Order: sequence, then structure tokens, then C-alpha cells
Amino acid sequence: MALAEHKWTMVVDLDKCTGCGACVVACHAENNVPIVSEEQTVRGRAMHWMRIERYWEGSFPEIKARFIPLMCQQCERAPCEPVCPVYATLHSEREHLNLQVYNRCVGTRYCQNNDPYKVRFFNFFDPIFDEPLTQQLNPDVTVRSAGVMEKCTFCVQRIRRAEERARLEKRPLTDGEVAPACVQTCPPGALVFGDLNDEASAVSQLLSGNARQFKLLEHLGTEPSVVYLKGGTSYVGT
Amino acid sequence: MTNISRRDFIKVGTAGILTTVLTGCQNPRHWVTLEPYVIPPEEQLAGVATWYATTCRQCPAGCGIIVRVMNGRALKIEGNPQHPLNKGKLCARGQAGLQILYNPDRLPGPVQQTKRGSGRFQPVSWEDGLNTLYARLQQAGNSTAIWTGSTTSGHLLDLFGRFAAAIGAPSPLVFDLCSELNGLATLENASQAFFGKNRLPTYDLDQADVVLSFGADFLGPWLSQVRYGTAFGAFRSQPLGKRGYLVQLEPRMSTTGAKADRWLPVSPGTEALVAQALVRIMADGPLGPAERLTEANTLASEIDVSSVAAASGIPVTELEQVARIFATATRPLAIPGNALAAQDGQGTAIAAVHALNTIAGADGLALSPDSPATWLLKPQVSPFSDVQALIERMQAGDIQLLLIHGANPVYELPESAGFVDALAHVPFVVSFSPIADETSAQADLVLPDRTYLESWGYNVTSPGFDLPVVGSQQPVVTPVFDARSTGDVLLTVARGIPAAATALPWRDEVAFLKETIPQLGPGAAGGSDSDVLWSRFLQHGGWWSATTPSPVHPTAVLSQPVQAETPQFQGNEQEYPYFLHLYMSDFMSDGRGANQPWLQGAPDPMTTVAWQTWVEMHPRTAQQLGVKDGDVVRIASPAGEIEAPVYIYPAIRPDTVAIPIGQGHTDYGRYARKRGSNPMDLVGATDEGLAWAAMRVRITPTGKKTAQAGFESKIGVTEGFINEAFPR
Repeated sequence: MALAEHKWTMVVDLDKCTGCGACVVACHAENNVPIVSEEQTVRGRAMHWMRIERYWEGSFPEIKARFIPLMCQQCERAPCEPVCPVYATLHSEREHLNLQVYNRCVGTRYCQNNDPYKVRFFNFFDPIFDEPLTQQLNPDVTVRSAGVMEKCTFCVQRIRRAEERARLEKRPLTDGEVAPACVQTCPPGALVFGDLNDEASAVSQLLSGNARQFKLLEHLGTEPSVVYLKGGTSYVGT
Repeated sequence: MTNISRRDFIKVGTAGILTTVLTGCQNPRHWVTLEPYVIPPEEQLAGVATWYATTCRQCPAGCGIIVRVMNGRALKIEGNPQHPLNKGKLCARGQAGLQILYNPDRLPGPVQQTKRGSGRFQPVSWEDGLNTLYARLQQAGNSTAIWTGSTTSGHLLDLFGRFAAAIGAPSPLVFDLCSELNGLATLENASQAFFGKNRLPTYDLDQADVVLSFGADFLGPWLSQVRYGTAFGAFRSQPLGKRGYLVQLEPRMSTTGAKADRWLPVSPGTEALVAQALVRIMADGPLGPAERLTEANTLASEIDVSSVAAASGIPVTELEQVARIFATATRPLAIPGNALAAQDGQGTAIAAVHALNTIAGADGLALSPDSPATWLLKPQVSPFSDVQALIERMQAGDIQLLLIHGANPVYELPESAGFVDALAHVPFVVSFSPIADETSAQADLVLPDRTYLESWGYNVTSPGFDLPVVGSQQPVVTPVFDARSTGDVLLTVARGIPAAATALPWRDEVAFLKETIPQLGPGAAGGSDSDVLWSRFLQHGGWWSATTPSPVHPTAVLSQPVQAETPQFQGNEQEYPYFLHLYMSDFMSDGRGANQPWLQGAPDPMTTVAWQTWVEMHPRTAQQLGVKDGDVVRIASPAGEIEAPVYIYPAIRPDTVAIPIGQGHTDYGRYARKRGSNPMDLVGATDEGLAWAAMRVRITPTGKKTAQAGFESKIGVTEGFINEAFPR
């Protein structure tokens, strides 16, 4: 049975995101992303595949804070891909994902340099997990060593697990069966994940005719697979 | 015998294992059915994960969780989709629970020390540890005191309570910083005065179209981040077809304030005045439908709106707009914040806010239900006066033995509370903390309990929740360290004390739970006989009723205006020019998250700073003081002083500085120790409670600089200091 083509897409509703950071920790837990020490954080080497950016708007007292959860945008035309000399960063045509092959990576960091969203992270050191914290490591995900670039994969291991289960049960994947760790945990449901090729999927429904949608740095022509929904401004009072 | 066949080997091997297990452990293992290895247990397929349901204990809310276990290792925690409280969702702290289980600084077994605070812990055997505890209990008799926390399991509270009653000691104290900062005791008390029932209110955020929050950080660590976070999602796309409108009044923008449609920087302590002014404006307007007007006229106090505007810093026009929005909304809701509870222990400030809900018809407000069974304990947080009474008794030498479980008062209480001094008058202190925290460092004996992912128990969900829920707790993995459940420890020592032995006849805590829980009868999960009910309880993550009872909306007994007063701040304005605004860090909560690297390393949502403490101040304040980002300042209050680097924060009142609580541990493992400072040192204790939201401070630059571990770019701010702060 040939594997079906998917257009994996994430929708981020900025009106609902509360900046609580559940996605950030869920991502660390699911993907064995190391925690960087205080000193290395100060030196700008912190690693979070998923982060919450906070922007100030206006000035006191008419001030607003806006949260934007940011992860790899899984671009259709990713600027990080063509610059990799060893094909460690490459595109999956079947799943429309931007893949990172850790054991090919030689650490040139060209991809990081060319990435307009700054969502790629470089392992300056071997990760440290004090014993017995190694017990918590997810066996489905490689622990990356020093000199390797890493980034959000849309939890490709979860996509694989769901695909394998569906194949065993001889049925197509159903909508909602695949949820990256961040989407799974998001309390207000600001993150929604699914297949845009499936017209009935939650993401397709959410995006169809939605005037609030936009993509980050759209003018660069990167064609991201992450779609943001603008924060609402409607006013119910009189 | 030289030729051992494979079959013989397995036989011999199995017999060997059986004997070892039977002789090696007597106590909890009798619940385990041993099977020979030739029939591998179904859930132990290599490479295939099994999920076990249990309850999160990172905060008192008690979300249902499922844990992914593979080959005996716990790999990932997710929300239990069936659990009515969190519906499959989880917050950052809930996600990080594995780092409590696998924390490298957990005590390997029971320890004792001859000199308190020496840090020289000597390992002892469980037998010796239990014998010491037993001897001390015998000696102390009814001058034993038990101190528990808001996350102590219900069954353990029950056992502690029965034990205390049997030996004639006062019932256990339930108090930790988390419950104090949540204002739980005051909120419940206020309900007593206002609705005639001592119960936590629950707010139907998802059903409301306008929410007026008086500093309630319900999207942060207040009450239940997950429950209100989920409700917030619904609020923004709510069934009335409108997008919910949130007004937040607070001196410093919290994460909840960041989501508000209108953020009003109210002067600290004037929230209740604003609430009263809004009622006045509605009555005078007249604003809103007739029935609301009638209520508003009854509840409007003699208050001058323009003087409230002057005191609070919110212009009259703004107050009028907010009053109009509230009065004319379909389902408006007002939520009192936790700071109100700390400014006024009598709860009149909370009642002033609830007057708005009375006008709105109290549709968005319900009281949390009773425990589904009287024999299931729902932790009732002790008021601060009980804490003070105990400290006084300790000081007077009336307490011979202090048992501490699930609380860390040495870190959590400010020096002004006098706990550390009083502790010196207690001859023997036993801590049950799984990790050596500040209180264990001052204990004579530490009998480490198991962490929540290895424990049994139940939890009647507390944060004001309309469907009665009893969350189940079961071990998802075998214990990682040689820790022993405190319930079993208590039942073991009770056997030697005749009165306690009668009161606590159970062989171990599981026997107690198995006897208790099935009495709840079939809930949503069904089942008939006791064994089935018990299994379903564990399998589904708890018990809740099959049908959602219609929520009991409180009938307000309030028939006259509330007279809330402006709170008294400690410190005079000349000497201490700034208000101090303390808040629970989203990740550290009250400090208990500081030993988990995932929480330490996660950037704070508002400042993006990790690993550190900082003091937030308005750019203008910083300019007046001549300080920049990363400059270390000394913050002094009448109660104490700390040092912290400045973080310039544009969304805070210029007369207020804000500091997150959670760092500044002197112990509590390698990730927490000697990191940042503990702003609770600035807090004074009053008879009504800890005045954590009623302090004034003075700020003096120290001339020192530090590099901030922020994730956001601060080019031109921290560069250049890095090598100074972290010399190579």
C-alpha cells in the first residue's frame, strides 16, 4: 500500500494563545531537547524548538503585549534547504515537511544563517542529562550530539506512529489522529494540526474563508506550513 | 548436573526469583501477582508503550494525567482526555512532572543528621528510621504536630487526621505558600460571608461574554491554569456568537493582562474601591436592565466616583465605559484576584467584587460542589492564624515532635513569621520530603516519601469545580529510589501505639484505599462489585458522576452595600516610595518548580528570562533611579531586603515594582540552589496573614551588573557584561 500524501499544517490562533508555555515544556519532553545552562543561555545558546515571542505594542498605560508561538515554519520553499552542503536539511515531497537528518549534519550552520525565522538550534556542546534524568528520554527520538543542528519536526515520530497504526489496521489516517506534543497539550486550543489536503480536516475548516489568516514573513516567498490567525479586536460592549 | 536444559534453567530461574521476591519484601508487594517470565505480562512488550492514568500533583488543582511508560520507564506525561477538569490538556508544570520522578537530587533513602543545617546527612536503614520515629512519637504523645501541604494526597491527610485524633494531637495543619498565594482560605471564607457557604467559587469563563478581572491571573498559576486556560479558548469563540471581552485591572501586566482587551493599571490595593465605584456608576447611570438596576441601587455604597478615580489612577470616563460594558453585557462576570485576599484577610474586598456578580444575576458564578462522599477528604486550607498559633506553641516549647509533609515552610515563610526561630525550640523534626529542601535541612530525620508518579492516593479536585471529581493516583513505574510511602510509614508506626493501632487498623495504604474508594459506587466508568470499581477508578484516572449535575448558583445573602477599605501597606511612603507587587512565576509556582530543569530553562512568557530572579520596573522609574537592564539593585522593605537585577518592563505602574516568586533556594537540589533571590524575605506577617500584596519598598542601586539569561534580543543592553558576569 503506497503511503498517502499529506500536507501537514499547523494553525496558530493568536487570539487564544495565553503564552502559558505548556507547548515549550511539552516539546522539550517529547523531543529530548536539552536544557541549556544559565551561562550558555546568557551567551545566546538556549535551545527551544518551540518558543513564545512577546511583542510590546504602544506605551504605558495604553500598552498591549502580543504572544506569538514560534516553531519551524516547515516552508515549502525553505531558505535553509538549498544551502546545506550535505543534504542534512531536505524536503519531504510526500509529507511537505522540512526534514533534518542528524547523522548527516556536519555543523556548517549555513542553514541557521539562512533561516529567516531563527528556529534552528545548534548543539554547541553535548547535551547533559544528569542521572537518572536519562530515564525520561523518548526512545523514538535521537539525542543529538555536539556539532549538530536541530529544529522542530512537527513531531515526525508521532506522525510515523499514527501512520503505522493506520496501516496495521488497513485504514486511512483520520483527522485529529496526529497531534504534535505542543498541540496535544495546548489548554486553550490555540494550536490546531492536520492535513490541508483533507478538505474535511479541522485545519481546512478553520482556514477556509478565514480573513484572520496570515503567514510570517510571507513576502520572502518561503510558503510556510504554519498559518497564524490574527488576534481579534471585536468589541461586544456598546 | 552438567547439562542444564533451557527448560530446567527457566524453572530454576523462576523459582529463584520467586523466593527472592517473597523473602525480600513483605509489605506492599502482596498486591503484585507474580507470573513466571515465560508468560510476559501483557503490558511489557518491548518497544510498545503503555499509558497509565493518575493525577498531577504539581499544584493543588489536580488535573488528570496519563503517563507513557515503556520498558518500565516513564517517558511522557499528557493530560487525561476523559478527566472533566483538564480534558486532555496540561500546563507547563504538569508536563515537567517526570523531572520530579527522575530528579538526580532525590534522597536515595532515609537519612538523619546530628546537627541541624549542617547538611551532613547520614544514611540510615528504614528499620532504624521507623524505630526512631516510633520512639519519638511515643515520647511526644499529644505534643506532636503535623504540618501538611495543599498537594498532600487526600488519603494521607485522612490517615494523618485519624492518627492525630487517636494520639490526642491537634488536627494536621494544611498550609503552604501555594495555598497562601492563591488566597484559598480567604476566598472560601469570603464565600461564607457572602453566599452562606464556606466553599471556593467557580467561574464560568466559557459562558461569559464580558469578564472583569480584578487582578485575577487565571491564565497564570492561579487556581487552575489548565481549567481556566481551556475555558479561555471557549471564551474567545463562545456560544453567544461574540468574542468574549476581557477587562483586567492590575498594577503590573500579567499573562492574563496580556490577553485583555482592555488593561487598566490600577493602583495596588484600590481594586475593591473600583468595584464599588462601578456599582455606584451603574446605579446612578442608570445603566443596564431593570432587574440589574434594582440590585445596583441596593448594593451601591456612598462612594465618590471621582475620588476613586484619583486614588486608583483610572479616569472617570474609563470607569464609566467599563461600567456600561458590564451592565449591558448578556452574561458579565467579575473575578476577584488573589492579591485582594492578601490585602484584606476579612474578604470584604472579595465581597465588593462579588457585588458586581450579584448585580449580573450570579449566572457566571457557582460554588464548588461538596466532596461526593463525606469520608473522602477535600483538603481544607488552614487560615494563617492557625499557622501563627502553631508557631507560638513551638516557640513556647509545647511541641515535642514536628512532622512535615508536602510543605517547605523554611523557604516559604518569610523570616518575619518566626518559623525558623520557633523550630529551634522543637526537640525533634521529621521531614517526609523526597528531596532535601530547606525544611529537610533543618530536620533531624528525613523519611523520603515517594513522588506522585510512584504513589497511591486520591484527590478531590479543589479549585472550584462544578462536577464532583475524585482523581485517582497510582504508581506508573516502580519506585526509582529507596523511598517509602508516608502512608505506609504512618500505618507501620501506628501499630505500636495502642490508641493509633485501633484507629488505623489497615495493613497498608492500598488496603485503606481499596476499602474506601469503592464505596463511591459506580460513576461514569460504571462497574458493580468492589474489585471492578477499584480497577475502573485506577484505569480511568478517577471517579466522577455519570451525569453532570446542574451547577448550584449561589443565592447572594448580601442585601446591603459592601464597605471595603483601602488596605494598609507596610512601610511609609517617604521611606519606601514604591509598591511591591509579588507574583507567582508561571513555571516555578510558589518555588516548588525550581528543582526541575525544564521549568528553570523555559523562558518566562513576559520577560523571556530563564534561571534567574529579576525586578520589573517602568522605564521612567529606571531612569529616575539611574539604572538599566541587568543593573543589580537592593530592594528593602520594613521586613527585609534582597538584591535582584532590573528588568525594564513597560507595562507596570511607575510607582510599583514587581518580582516573581520561586527562586532564591538555599537547598532543594542542584538546579534550584543559590539561584536568584527569594522575594518572600521582603514580606511581613500580620495577624491576618502574609502581607505579600501590601508591602512598600525602597530601591537602591548597588553598582553591580549582571547578564540576564533572556531569550529575547537585548542588543546594546547586556552585551559586554557577559564575560564580567561569567568570567572564564
